[in-house]
Amino acid sequence: MDLTLIALVVVVLLAIYFIAQYNKLTRLNVQVDEAFAQIEVQLQRRADLIPNLVETVKGYASHESEVLQKVVEARSAATEAHGFNEVAAADGSLTSALRGLLAITENYPDLKASANFIALQEELSTTENKVGFARQYYNDRVRQLNQALVTLPTNFFGGIAKVVKRDFYEVDSPEKRDVPKVSF
Amino acid sequence: MSLDFHAQQASNQRKTYGLLFGMAIVTIVLIYAVGLWLGQSGTALFPMAVIFALVMVWGSYYNSDKLVMTMTGARIIDHDSAPQLFNLVQEIVIAAGIPMPKVAIVEDPAPNAFATGRDPDHAVIAFTTGILNSMDREELQGVAAHELAHVANRDTLVMAVAATTAGVIAIISDIAIRMSWFTGGNRRDNNDSGNAIGAIVGLVAVILAPIAALLLRSAISRKRESLADATAVAFTRNPTGLRRALETLAQDSTVVEQRSNAVAHIWIESPLDSSTTSKLFATHPPIEERIALLRQMEGSGPAK
Repeated sequence: MDLTLIALVVVVLLAIYFIAQYNKLTRLNVQVDEAFAQIEVQLQRRADLIPNLVETVKGYASHESEVLQKVVEARSAATEAHGFNEVAAADGSLTSALRGLLAITENYPDLKASANFIALQEELSTTENKVGFARQYYNDRVRQLNQALVTLPTNFFGGIAKVVKRDFYEVDSPEKRDVPKVSF
Repeated sequence: MSLDFHAQQASNQRKTYGLLFGMAIVTIVLIYAVGLWLGQSGTALFPMAVIFALVMVWGSYYNSDKLVMTMTGARIIDHDSAPQLFNLVQEIVIAAGIPMPKVAIVEDPAPNAFATGRDPDHAVIAFTTGILNSMDREELQGVAAHELAHVANRDTLVMAVAATTAGVIAIISDIAIRMSWFTGGNRRDNNDSGNAIGAIVGLVAVILAPIAALLLRSAISRKRESLADATAVAFTRNPTGLRRALETLAQDSTVVEQRSNAVAHIWIESPLDSSTTSKLFATHPPIEERIALLRQMEGSGPAK
Protein backbone atom coordinates (compact mmCIF):
# COMPACT_ATOMS: atom_id res chain seq x y z
CA MET A 1 0.00 0.00 0.00
CA ASP A 2 2.72 2.45 1.06
CA LEU A 3 4.92 1.38 -1.84
CA THR A 4 2.24 1.98 -4.42
CA LEU A 5 1.66 5.42 -2.94
CA ILE A 6 5.36 6.26 -3.20
CA ALA A 7 5.47 4.92 -6.75
CA LEU A 8 2.45 7.03 -7.61
CA VAL A 9 4.06 10.18 -6.17
CA VAL A 10 7.25 9.49 -8.10
CA VAL A 11 5.34 9.00 -11.34
CA VAL A 12 3.35 12.20 -10.84
CA LEU A 13 6.51 14.21 -10.02
CA LEU A 14 8.27 12.80 -13.09
CA ALA A 15 5.29 13.66 -15.25
CA ILE A 16 5.28 17.24 -13.93
CA TYR A 17 9.02 17.47 -14.63
CA PHE A 18 8.65 16.18 -18.18
CA ILE A 19 5.77 18.52 -18.89
CA ALA A 20 7.82 21.45 -17.59
CA GLN A 21 10.73 20.63 -19.93
CA TYR A 22 8.36 20.13 -22.87
CA ASN A 23 6.64 23.44 -22.13
CA LYS A 24 9.94 25.26 -21.81
CA LEU A 25 10.98 24.20 -25.30
CA THR A 26 7.59 24.99 -26.77
CA ARG A 27 7.63 28.42 -25.12
CA LEU A 28 11.10 29.21 -26.47
CA ASN A 29 9.93 28.11 -29.90
CA VAL A 30 6.86 30.35 -29.78
CA GLN A 31 9.04 33.26 -28.64
CA VAL A 32 11.19 32.83 -31.72
CA ASP A 33 8.09 33.00 -33.92
CA GLU A 34 6.86 36.09 -32.10
CA ALA A 35 10.25 37.73 -32.44
CA PHE A 36 10.20 37.07 -36.17
CA ALA A 37 6.70 38.56 -36.41
CA GLN A 38 8.07 41.67 -34.68
CA ILE A 39 10.81 41.97 -37.32
CA GLU A 40 8.16 41.78 -40.04
CA VAL A 41 6.04 44.46 -38.33
CA GLN A 42 9.01 46.82 -38.21
CA LEU A 43 9.99 46.04 -41.81
CA GLN A 44 6.42 46.84 -42.85
CA ARG A 45 6.60 50.17 -40.99
CA ARG A 46 9.79 50.98 -42.82
CA ALA A 47 8.25 50.06 -46.18
CA ASP A 48 5.31 52.36 -45.41
CA LEU A 49 7.62 55.31 -44.80
CA ILE A 50 9.52 54.98 -48.05
CA PRO A 51 7.01 56.44 -50.60
CA ASN A 52 6.82 59.62 -48.51
CA LEU A 53 10.61 59.74 -48.25
CA VAL A 54 11.09 59.23 -51.98
CA GLU A 55 8.57 61.98 -52.80
CA THR A 56 10.27 64.42 -50.44
CA VAL A 57 13.75 63.72 -51.80
CA LYS A 58 12.46 63.96 -55.41
CA GLY A 59 11.26 67.48 -54.75
CA TYR A 60 14.81 68.64 -54.05
CA ALA A 61 16.99 66.13 -55.90
CA SER A 62 15.00 64.90 -58.88
CA HIS A 63 18.08 64.06 -60.96
CA GLU A 64 19.23 61.44 -58.43
CA SER A 65 16.77 59.09 -60.13
CA GLU A 66 19.17 56.14 -60.11
CA VAL A 67 19.48 56.07 -56.33
CA LEU A 68 15.75 56.68 -55.91
CA GLN A 69 14.94 53.91 -58.35
CA LYS A 70 17.08 51.48 -56.37
CA VAL A 71 15.17 52.26 -53.20
CA VAL A 72 11.80 51.88 -54.91
CA GLU A 73 12.81 48.52 -56.39
CA ALA A 74 14.26 47.25 -53.14
CA ARG A 75 11.09 48.31 -51.36
CA SER A 76 8.77 46.45 -53.71
CA ALA A 77 10.99 43.37 -53.45
CA ALA A 78 10.83 43.63 -49.67
CA THR A 79 7.04 43.94 -49.55
CA GLU A 80 6.67 40.85 -51.75
CA ALA A 81 9.19 38.75 -49.81
CA HIS A 82 7.81 35.66 -48.09
CA GLY A 83 9.48 33.23 -45.78
CA PHE A 84 12.46 33.59 -43.55
CA ASN A 85 15.33 33.64 -46.07
CA GLU A 86 13.59 35.86 -48.61
CA VAL A 87 12.60 38.41 -45.96
CA ALA A 88 16.13 38.57 -44.59
CA ALA A 89 17.69 39.00 -48.04
CA ALA A 90 15.19 41.70 -49.10
CA ASP A 91 15.71 43.46 -45.76
CA GLY A 92 19.45 43.53 -46.46
CA SER A 93 19.19 45.05 -49.93
CA LEU A 94 16.64 47.66 -48.81
CA THR A 95 18.85 48.60 -45.86
CA SER A 96 21.81 49.29 -48.13
CA ALA A 97 19.65 51.11 -50.73
CA LEU A 98 18.32 53.40 -47.99
CA ARG A 99 21.80 54.04 -46.77
CA GLY A 100 22.78 55.12 -50.27
CA LEU A 101 19.79 57.49 -50.42
CA LEU A 102 20.58 59.05 -47.06
CA ALA A 103 24.19 59.52 -48.13
CA ILE A 104 23.22 61.65 -51.16
CA THR A 105 20.88 63.81 -49.06
CA GLU A 106 24.04 65.19 -47.45
CA ASN A 107 24.63 67.13 -50.70
CA TYR A 108 21.30 68.97 -50.55
CA PRO A 109 21.25 71.54 -47.75
CA ASP A 110 17.76 72.76 -48.75
CA LEU A 111 16.39 69.25 -48.45
CA LYS A 112 18.09 68.68 -45.11
CA ALA A 113 16.68 71.95 -43.80
CA SER A 114 13.07 71.24 -44.81
CA ALA A 115 10.77 70.58 -41.88
CA ASN A 116 9.17 67.67 -43.69
CA PHE A 117 12.51 65.95 -44.17
CA ILE A 118 13.63 66.52 -40.57
CA ALA A 119 10.48 64.83 -39.28
CA LEU A 120 10.89 62.04 -41.82
CA GLN A 121 14.50 61.53 -40.89
CA GLU A 122 13.61 60.98 -37.22
CA GLU A 123 10.94 58.46 -38.22
CA LEU A 124 13.35 56.73 -40.56
CA SER A 125 16.19 56.50 -38.04
CA THR A 126 13.87 55.21 -35.33
CA THR A 127 12.48 52.62 -37.72
CA GLU A 128 16.01 51.56 -38.66
CA ASN A 129 16.81 51.21 -34.94
CA LYS A 130 13.61 49.27 -34.33
CA VAL A 131 14.38 46.88 -37.16
CA GLY A 132 17.85 46.47 -35.70
CA PHE A 133 16.58 45.80 -32.18
CA ALA A 134 13.92 43.42 -33.47
CA ARG A 135 16.68 41.46 -35.27
CA GLN A 136 18.79 41.50 -32.11
CA TYR A 137 15.84 40.27 -29.99
CA TYR A 138 15.10 37.54 -32.52
CA ASN A 139 18.70 36.35 -32.52
CA ASP A 140 18.77 36.32 -28.71
CA ARG A 141 15.65 34.12 -28.66
CA VAL A 142 17.12 31.82 -31.31
CA ARG A 143 20.32 31.56 -29.27
CA GLN A 144 18.30 30.55 -26.18
CA LEU A 145 16.29 27.98 -28.11
CA ASN A 146 19.34 26.47 -29.82
CA GLN A 147 21.16 26.32 -26.51
CA ALA A 148 18.22 24.52 -24.87
CA LEU A 149 18.22 22.01 -27.73
CA VAL A 150 21.81 20.96 -27.07
CA THR A 151 21.94 21.11 -23.25
CA LEU A 152 20.60 18.74 -20.62
CA PRO A 153 17.84 18.02 -19.86
CA THR A 154 15.86 19.90 -22.51
CA ASN A 155 17.75 18.27 -25.40
CA PHE A 156 15.83 15.02 -24.81
CA PHE A 157 12.53 16.75 -25.49
CA GLY A 158 13.28 18.36 -28.85
CA GLY A 159 11.95 15.35 -30.74
CA ILE A 160 8.73 14.99 -28.72
CA ALA A 161 7.97 18.72 -28.82
CA LYS A 162 8.86 18.79 -32.54
CA VAL A 163 11.14 21.75 -31.94
CA VAL A 164 14.22 22.11 -34.10
CA LYS A 165 17.17 24.47 -34.19
CA ARG A 166 16.50 27.79 -35.89
CA ASP A 167 18.69 29.97 -38.07
CA PHE A 168 19.98 33.33 -36.94
CA TYR A 169 18.58 36.32 -38.78
CA GLU A 170 21.46 37.62 -40.82
CA VAL A 171 21.27 40.60 -43.09
CA ASP A 172 22.98 39.89 -46.40
CA SER A 173 24.40 43.31 -46.96
CA PRO A 174 28.02 44.27 -47.37
CA GLU A 175 27.76 46.89 -44.64
CA LYS A 176 26.12 45.03 -41.80
CA ARG A 177 24.49 46.82 -38.92
CA ASP A 178 27.16 48.01 -36.54
CA VAL A 179 24.82 48.23 -33.53
CA PRO A 180 25.99 45.13 -31.62
CA LYS A 181 29.24 46.66 -30.41
CA VAL A 182 29.16 44.28 -27.48
CA SER A 183 28.37 40.67 -28.10
CA PHE A 184 28.90 37.37 -26.40
CA MET B 1 40.26 44.82 -18.85
CA SER B 2 36.91 44.13 -20.35
CA LEU B 3 33.60 43.45 -18.73
CA ASP B 4 30.78 41.35 -19.99
CA PHE B 5 27.31 42.64 -19.20
CA HIS B 6 25.91 39.14 -18.67
CA ALA B 7 28.41 38.53 -15.86
CA GLN B 8 27.53 41.97 -14.45
CA GLN B 9 23.82 41.16 -14.49
CA ALA B 10 24.31 37.80 -12.79
CA SER B 11 26.59 39.19 -10.10
CA ASN B 12 24.18 42.02 -9.26
CA GLN B 13 21.23 39.62 -9.03
CA ARG B 14 23.22 37.38 -6.68
CA LYS B 15 24.17 40.30 -4.48
CA THR B 16 20.55 41.46 -4.28
CA TYR B 17 19.51 38.03 -3.02
CA GLY B 18 22.38 38.12 -0.53
CA LEU B 19 21.27 41.50 0.77
CA LEU B 20 17.61 40.47 1.03
CA PHE B 21 18.82 37.43 2.97
CA GLY B 22 20.76 39.83 5.23
CA MET B 23 17.51 41.72 5.85
CA ALA B 24 15.80 38.49 6.89
CA ILE B 25 18.68 37.73 9.30
CA VAL B 26 18.44 41.21 10.84
CA THR B 27 14.70 40.67 11.36
CA ILE B 28 15.23 37.31 13.06
CA VAL B 29 18.04 38.65 15.26
CA LEU B 30 15.83 41.57 16.23
CA ILE B 31 12.90 39.35 17.19
CA TYR B 32 15.23 37.20 19.25
CA ALA B 33 16.71 40.30 20.92
CA VAL B 34 13.27 41.67 21.76
CA GLY B 35 12.45 38.29 23.29
CA LEU B 36 15.61 38.45 25.43
CA TRP B 37 14.86 41.96 26.50
CA LEU B 38 11.16 41.99 27.14
CA GLY B 39 10.43 38.32 27.67
CA GLN B 40 8.06 36.27 25.53
CA SER B 41 5.52 39.08 25.19
CA GLY B 42 7.98 40.81 22.86
CA THR B 43 7.77 38.16 20.13
CA ALA B 44 4.06 38.81 19.76
CA LEU B 45 5.06 42.10 18.12
CA PHE B 46 6.28 40.36 14.99
CA PRO B 47 2.97 39.50 13.30
CA MET B 48 1.61 42.93 14.19
CA ALA B 49 4.63 44.66 12.67
CA VAL B 50 4.48 42.54 9.52
CA ILE B 51 0.82 43.34 8.93
CA PHE B 52 1.34 47.03 9.63
CA ALA B 53 4.34 47.33 7.30
CA LEU B 54 2.66 45.25 4.59
CA VAL B 55 -0.41 47.48 4.60
CA MET B 56 1.73 50.62 4.40
CA VAL B 57 4.13 49.49 1.70
CA TRP B 58 1.73 47.38 -0.34
CA GLY B 59 -0.55 50.35 -0.92
CA SER B 60 2.28 52.48 -2.21
CA TYR B 61 3.65 49.59 -4.29
CA TYR B 62 0.32 48.80 -5.88
CA ASN B 63 -0.38 52.44 -6.70
CA SER B 64 3.26 53.35 -7.33
CA ASP B 65 2.57 54.67 -10.83
CA LYS B 66 -0.16 57.11 -9.77
CA LEU B 67 1.55 58.01 -6.50
CA VAL B 68 4.90 58.89 -8.03
CA MET B 69 3.23 60.73 -10.90
CA THR B 70 1.43 62.95 -8.42
CA MET B 71 4.49 63.47 -6.23
CA THR B 72 6.73 64.46 -9.13
CA GLY B 73 4.10 66.22 -11.26
CA ALA B 74 4.83 64.03 -14.28
CA ARG B 75 2.59 64.48 -17.35
CA ILE B 76 1.84 61.57 -19.72
CA ILE B 77 2.67 62.25 -23.36
CA ASP B 78 1.94 60.54 -26.69
CA HIS B 79 3.92 60.12 -29.90
CA ASP B 80 2.90 63.43 -31.46
CA SER B 81 3.86 65.67 -28.56
CA ALA B 82 7.45 64.34 -28.37
CA PRO B 83 8.11 62.08 -31.36
CA GLN B 84 11.82 61.49 -30.74
CA LEU B 85 11.45 60.60 -27.05
CA PHE B 86 8.49 58.34 -27.76
CA ASN B 87 10.34 56.66 -30.64
CA LEU B 88 13.45 55.87 -28.66
CA VAL B 89 11.42 54.40 -25.83
CA GLN B 90 9.69 52.19 -28.41
CA GLU B 91 13.08 51.09 -29.72
CA ILE B 92 14.19 49.84 -26.30
CA VAL B 93 10.79 48.20 -25.75
CA ILE B 94 11.45 46.11 -28.87
CA ALA B 95 14.99 45.31 -27.75
CA ALA B 96 13.75 44.28 -24.29
CA GLY B 97 10.64 42.42 -25.43
CA ILE B 98 8.43 44.13 -22.81
CA PRO B 99 5.08 45.94 -23.15
CA MET B 100 5.15 49.64 -24.08
CA PRO B 101 5.09 51.72 -20.86
CA LYS B 102 3.48 55.13 -20.47
CA VAL B 103 5.95 57.90 -21.23
CA ALA B 104 5.85 61.06 -19.14
CA ILE B 105 7.60 64.42 -18.89
CA VAL B 106 8.39 66.29 -15.66
CA GLU B 107 8.75 70.07 -15.99
CA ASP B 108 12.08 70.52 -14.26
CA PRO B 109 15.31 72.12 -15.49
CA ALA B 110 17.46 69.52 -13.73
CA PRO B 111 18.35 66.60 -16.01
CA ASN B 112 16.97 63.36 -14.58
CA ALA B 113 14.65 60.44 -15.35
CA PHE B 114 12.82 57.66 -13.51
CA ALA B 115 10.74 54.53 -13.95
CA THR B 116 7.97 53.23 -11.73
CA GLY B 117 4.89 51.00 -11.74
CA ARG B 118 4.21 47.69 -10.04
CA ASP B 119 4.86 45.50 -13.09
CA PRO B 120 5.80 45.92 -16.77
CA ASP B 121 2.10 46.28 -17.67
CA HIS B 122 1.68 49.32 -15.40
CA ALA B 123 5.06 50.93 -15.96
CA VAL B 124 5.63 54.64 -16.38
CA ILE B 125 8.94 56.10 -17.44
CA ALA B 126 9.47 59.81 -17.03
CA PHE B 127 12.06 62.32 -18.20
CA THR B 128 12.60 65.86 -17.00
CA THR B 129 12.51 68.67 -19.55
CA GLY B 130 16.10 69.32 -18.43
CA ILE B 131 17.32 65.92 -19.60
CA LEU B 132 15.51 66.28 -22.93
CA ASN B 133 17.18 69.62 -23.54
CA SER B 134 20.69 68.63 -22.53
CA MET B 135 21.14 65.25 -24.21
CA ASP B 136 21.41 63.97 -27.77
CA ARG B 137 19.61 60.96 -29.18
CA GLU B 138 22.27 58.39 -28.29
CA GLU B 139 22.49 59.59 -24.67
CA LEU B 140 18.71 59.64 -24.26
CA GLN B 141 18.55 56.12 -25.65
CA GLY B 142 20.98 55.03 -22.94
CA VAL B 143 18.83 56.70 -20.29
CA ALA B 144 15.64 55.12 -21.68
CA ALA B 145 17.40 51.72 -21.66
CA HIS B 146 18.44 52.19 -18.02
CA GLU B 147 14.88 53.08 -16.99
CA LEU B 148 13.31 50.23 -18.94
CA ALA B 149 15.89 47.92 -17.37
CA HIS B 150 14.38 48.85 -13.99
CA VAL B 151 10.98 47.90 -15.41
CA ALA B 152 12.21 44.61 -16.88
CA ASN B 153 14.08 43.71 -13.67
CA ARG B 154 10.97 44.55 -11.58
CA ASP B 155 12.88 46.87 -9.33
CA THR B 156 9.71 48.45 -7.94
CA LEU B 157 8.88 45.03 -6.48
CA VAL B 158 12.40 44.46 -5.15
CA MET B 159 12.44 47.87 -3.49
CA ALA B 160 8.93 47.32 -2.09
CA VAL B 161 10.12 44.09 -0.47
CA ALA B 162 13.18 45.88 0.93
CA ALA B 163 11.03 48.76 2.20
CA THR B 164 8.57 46.36 3.85
CA THR B 165 11.32 44.49 5.68
CA ALA B 166 13.01 47.71 6.77
CA GLY B 167 9.58 48.93 7.90
CA VAL B 168 8.93 45.77 9.93
CA ILE B 169 12.29 46.20 11.64
CA ALA B 170 11.71 49.86 12.40
CA ILE B 171 8.22 49.21 13.79
CA ILE B 172 9.36 46.32 16.01
CA SER B 173 12.22 48.25 17.56
CA ASP B 174 10.08 51.34 17.97
CA ILE B 175 7.29 49.49 19.77
CA ALA B 176 9.81 47.46 21.80
CA ILE B 177 11.40 50.65 23.12
CA ARG B 178 8.00 52.10 23.99
CA MET B 179 6.91 48.87 25.68
CA SER B 180 10.04 48.88 27.82
CA TRP B 181 8.83 52.07 29.50
CA PHE B 182 5.92 50.15 30.93
CA THR B 183 7.48 46.76 31.60
CA GLY B 184 10.76 48.17 32.91
CA GLY B 185 9.46 48.64 36.47
CA ASN B 186 7.95 45.20 36.48
CA ARG B 187 11.24 43.56 35.64
CA ARG B 188 13.21 45.36 38.36
CA ASP B 189 11.29 43.40 41.03
CA ASN B 190 12.37 39.92 39.98
CA ASN B 191 15.83 40.80 38.72
CA ASP B 192 18.51 38.16 38.14
CA SER B 193 21.95 38.63 36.55
CA GLY B 194 21.35 36.51 33.40
CA ASN B 195 18.29 38.51 32.59
CA ALA B 196 20.17 41.79 33.02
CA ILE B 197 22.88 40.89 30.47
CA GLY B 198 20.22 39.64 28.09
CA ALA B 199 18.34 42.88 28.48
CA ILE B 200 21.43 44.97 27.64
CA VAL B 201 22.27 42.87 24.57
CA GLY B 202 18.64 43.10 23.54
CA LEU B 203 18.58 46.88 23.96
CA VAL B 204 21.69 47.32 21.81
CA ALA B 205 20.26 45.06 19.10
CA VAL B 206 16.94 46.88 19.14
CA ILE B 207 18.69 50.23 18.67
CA LEU B 208 21.08 49.00 15.96
CA ALA B 209 18.60 46.94 13.91
CA PRO B 210 16.81 49.83 12.19
CA ILE B 211 20.16 51.37 11.22
CA ALA B 212 21.32 48.03 9.80
CA ALA B 213 18.04 47.71 7.89
CA LEU B 214 18.47 51.17 6.39
CA LEU B 215 22.04 50.34 5.34
CA LEU B 216 20.90 47.11 3.70
CA ARG B 217 18.05 48.89 1.94
CA SER B 218 20.44 51.46 0.49
CA ALA B 219 22.84 48.70 -0.53
CA ILE B 220 20.02 46.87 -2.36
CA SER B 221 19.09 50.09 -4.14
CA ARG B 222 22.72 50.57 -5.26
CA LYS B 223 22.90 46.99 -6.56
CA ARG B 224 19.69 47.49 -8.54
CA GLU B 225 21.18 50.62 -10.11
CA SER B 226 24.31 48.73 -11.20
CA LEU B 227 22.12 45.93 -12.49
CA ALA B 228 20.02 48.40 -14.49
CA ASP B 229 23.19 49.81 -16.08
CA ALA B 230 24.28 46.31 -17.12
CA THR B 231 20.78 45.40 -18.38
CA ALA B 232 20.61 48.66 -20.33
CA VAL B 233 23.77 47.62 -22.19
CA ALA B 234 22.21 44.21 -22.84
CA PHE B 235 19.29 46.04 -24.52
CA THR B 236 21.18 48.56 -26.62
CA ARG B 237 24.53 46.71 -27.00
CA ASN B 238 25.93 50.22 -26.79
CA PRO B 239 27.54 51.21 -23.47
CA THR B 240 28.69 54.51 -24.99
CA GLY B 241 25.26 56.18 -24.95
CA LEU B 242 24.61 55.56 -21.26
CA ARG B 243 28.22 56.35 -20.35
CA ARG B 244 28.01 59.72 -22.11
CA ALA B 245 24.63 60.37 -20.51
CA LEU B 246 26.05 59.73 -17.03
CA GLU B 247 28.97 62.02 -17.81
CA THR B 248 26.53 64.76 -18.76
CA LEU B 249 24.66 64.15 -15.50
CA ALA B 250 27.89 64.19 -13.50
CA GLN B 251 28.88 67.58 -14.93
CA ASP B 252 25.49 69.04 -14.23
CA SER B 253 25.14 70.57 -10.78
CA THR B 254 21.42 71.36 -10.79
CA VAL B 255 19.27 68.94 -8.84
CA VAL B 256 15.61 68.07 -9.19
CA GLU B 257 13.45 70.41 -7.16
CA GLN B 258 11.63 67.69 -5.27
CA ARG B 259 14.40 66.65 -2.93
CA SER B 260 12.20 64.20 -1.11
CA ASN B 261 13.92 61.20 0.43
CA ALA B 262 10.85 59.09 -0.29
CA VAL B 263 11.31 59.14 -4.06
CA ALA B 264 15.10 59.59 -4.20
CA HIS B 265 15.82 56.00 -5.24
CA ILE B 266 13.68 56.11 -8.38
CA TRP B 267 15.70 58.72 -10.31
CA ILE B 268 18.58 57.75 -12.60
CA GLU B 269 20.87 60.11 -10.71
CA SER B 270 20.33 60.69 -7.00
CA PRO B 271 18.56 64.05 -6.54
CA LEU B 272 19.94 64.34 -3.00
CA ASP B 273 23.14 66.32 -2.69
CA SER B 274 25.95 63.79 -2.42
CA SER B 275 27.78 65.79 0.24
CA THR B 276 24.86 65.51 2.65
CA THR B 277 24.34 61.77 2.23
CA SER B 278 27.16 59.47 3.25
CA LYS B 279 28.25 56.75 0.87
CA LEU B 280 26.77 53.96 2.99
CA PHE B 281 23.28 55.47 2.97
CA ALA B 282 23.37 56.50 -0.70
CA THR B 283 20.65 55.06 -2.94
CA HIS B 284 22.95 55.11 -6.00
CA PRO B 285 26.54 53.98 -6.58
CA PRO B 286 28.95 56.89 -7.13
CA ILE B 287 28.43 58.14 -10.69
CA GLU B 288 32.20 57.94 -11.40
CA GLU B 289 32.12 54.21 -10.60
CA ARG B 290 29.18 53.67 -12.94
CA ILE B 291 30.98 55.53 -15.73
CA ALA B 292 34.15 53.48 -15.14
CA LEU B 293 32.18 50.20 -15.35
CA LEU B 294 30.53 51.25 -18.62
CA ARG B 295 33.94 52.22 -20.01
CA GLN B 296 35.13 48.70 -19.25
CA MET B 297 32.12 47.29 -21.08
CA GLU B 298 32.95 49.48 -24.09
CA GLY B 299 36.38 47.88 -24.08
CA SER B 300 34.94 44.40 -24.37
CA GLY B 301 34.85 43.45 -28.01
CA PRO B 302 33.08 40.47 -29.51
CA ALA B 303 34.59 38.04 -27.04
CA LYS B 304 33.49 34.58 -25.89
